[in-house]
Amino acid sequence: MDGDVSAHSQEAEKETTRLWRTFRTVYEMLADRGYEVSDDELAISLDEFRQKYSDPMGYPDRNKMKIQARPTKIMEMKYTLKTKSNPNPTPDCGTVYVDFCPDASGVGTKQVRAFNHIVGESNYHTGIFITQTPISPSAVRLLSSLPNHICEHFQEQDLLVNITRHELVPKHVLLSPEEKARLLERYRLKESQLPRMQVSDPVSRYLGLRRGQVVKIIRKSETAGRYASYRWVI
Amino acid sequence: MLLKGAKPPAAPSTINWVRAVSRGSTSSSKSIFAQLKTYARLLHPISPNFLAEHTTYNMSTRQGSSPNPALRTSLPTAFASVVEESSYAHPTQEEQDKYLQARPGATARHLGIALQHAQQIQAQKDAEGMILDRTIELLEIPTSPSADPTTPSPEDVQLFKTALQLFRPGDYDNLIMERNYEDLCGYGLCPRKNRKQVGATGSTFHFKYGAKGSGPGGRGRAVDIVPRENLEKWCSDECAERALFIRVQLSEQPVWERRADETEDIRIELLEESRERRQRQKQKQKQKQKQQLEAGSSKSASTGPQSSESDITAGLRDLKIQEAGRSQELALERGDTGLSLRKGRVDVQLKEKEPSSQSAPTAPQLGPGDEMGGSIEGYIPQEQLEESSNTLKDKDILDQL
Repeated sequence: MDGDVSAHSQEAEKETTRLWRTFRTVYEMLADRGYEVSDDELAISLDEFRQKYSDPMGYPDRNKMKIQARPTKIMEMKYTLKTKSNPNPTPDCGTVYVDFCPDASGVGTKQVRAFNHIVGESNYHTGIFITQTPISPSAVRLLSSLPNHICEHFQEQDLLVNITRHELVPKHVLLSPEEKARLLERYRLKESQLPRMQVSDPVSRYLGLRRGQVVKIIRKSETAGRYASYRWVI
Repeated sequence: MLLKGAKPPAAPSTINWVRAVSRGSTSSSKSIFAQLKTYARLLHPISPNFLAEHTTYNMSTRQGSSPNPALRTSLPTAFASVVEESSYAHPTQEEQDKYLQARPGATARHLGIALQHAQQIQAQKDAEGMILDRTIELLEIPTSPSADPTTPSPEDVQLFKTALQLFRPGDYDNLIMERNYEDLCGYGLCPRKNRKQVGATGSTFHFKYGAKGSGPGGRGRAVDIVPRENLEKWCSDECAERALFIRVQLSEQPVWERRADETEDIRIELLEESRERRQRQKQKQKQKQKQQLEAGSSKSASTGPQSSESDITAGLRDLKIQEAGRSQELALERGDTGLSLRKGRVDVQLKEKEPSSQSAPTAPQLGPGDEMGGSIEGYIPQEQLEESSNTLKDKDILDQL
């Protein structure tokens, strides 16, 4: 009996640690995308996480772990396209909502429908749905079918480590529409002449990039110190 | 409504309808612009033959209420009406003109083909959306929790069958998966829960034993090793049979590529219905045989055993290798029916041209200037021409001297 309890608590401990890592990566991801995230939230320790989000059994309670964040001024600037006909445009970004799905298996259209409902009802601009297992193909389609909202999906294990912190992953910086226009003019290019990058690329998923955006990739170079290249997201 | 949305930068009207085309996707308006550009790029290298085939696509008829006929036939009627209602797929003449003015290289034909492709993509997206809606609807049936899968209610059957007309086997598998996620049996008309934890827990395979005497040589039991997930999809083996019986009837061709009548032709039959039908057929056949036997016995009573011999010879005489009706049947079975048999196809027959002249081709003869290399298939290179003319001039001068 005693062994059973300790096995349980070990299991709970393991799951809590894993989820804590995911949780931290989510905050880092939001910060990297340009949302307002406080330093406390970014540097949450395992003990704090355990206190805040675990249930009496010691397992993490995913229902409590809902995150909302507003975009910063810099991010809003990156997502606004100023034109002659529209001198005061509204930025194409807004409050983000992150939901952890509590179901351990079999995430289908039911859960996604509930998530879509929350996103639509509260009028969040972006929704991020995080599950423990892969979701069904119909659910994927349903997730992307919400008009005027952007819904993304991640698995917990995808966010266990922050891939952009790896030494072999160069820094990706999103360019604002003006910066993009300047770049294309400087090199006399059409955007289709830039090297490309897929929306499904892990880094572009991490940064929540959309089709048509351009990222600047800054790498270290032995000869030049720093080397910048550009990618057109398709 | 979509056309009156926020105005994007350049050529607003055109962007609006193109944006509407990829409605539902998360891509921004810019990308659709790029998408259309790629269409335009794709269109340029198209051969004139291809264009000639598609010139029936008339710009003036399409604008307004009448949709592209090709689109209408390729979709189920319900969907065609949706397309008809949406204005984005059919921009007005004004919008088309504006789009063309901004692009000096493009012609109305280019725009027409680009639009056709855009409409096809939109059709595919809408059809996929419709299949998703149907999948979600089918999660709700059977409406009563006490429904019996062997005798489902007519309304459920109706809903089930009409929804499945659109499905491909893959979509059907998705439906089964979704139903299992909701703890339901994979068969759409069964209200029970699916089996869980069949056999030993943690094992990925399950041993299924057949009836006694089903093994090889009529001894022992037959054993099937089945992946456990396949067993856990259904509530019972009967339901598995019913569900898989429906799966084999689904068409592999996606809805948006089917012709309208093809979708209507898919008649899905439940296992129970099919069994009933077959039994009825058998009974009919038995009755026929009985009648024939009775008739034959009355005849044979008079002629005796000789008649059976004459019957066989008569049968052999009637046996023909090439009988019109049977060969047609055979062709149907082999799938050899000509394209002309399908509605809406033009019957094209190739005729070989007879060679016109009987005479053998003459050998080529050495013409003037051929020693210099001559002409290349009738073309004389510029340099040679100049040289030959120079030599001519030289000669002339010599003559004059």
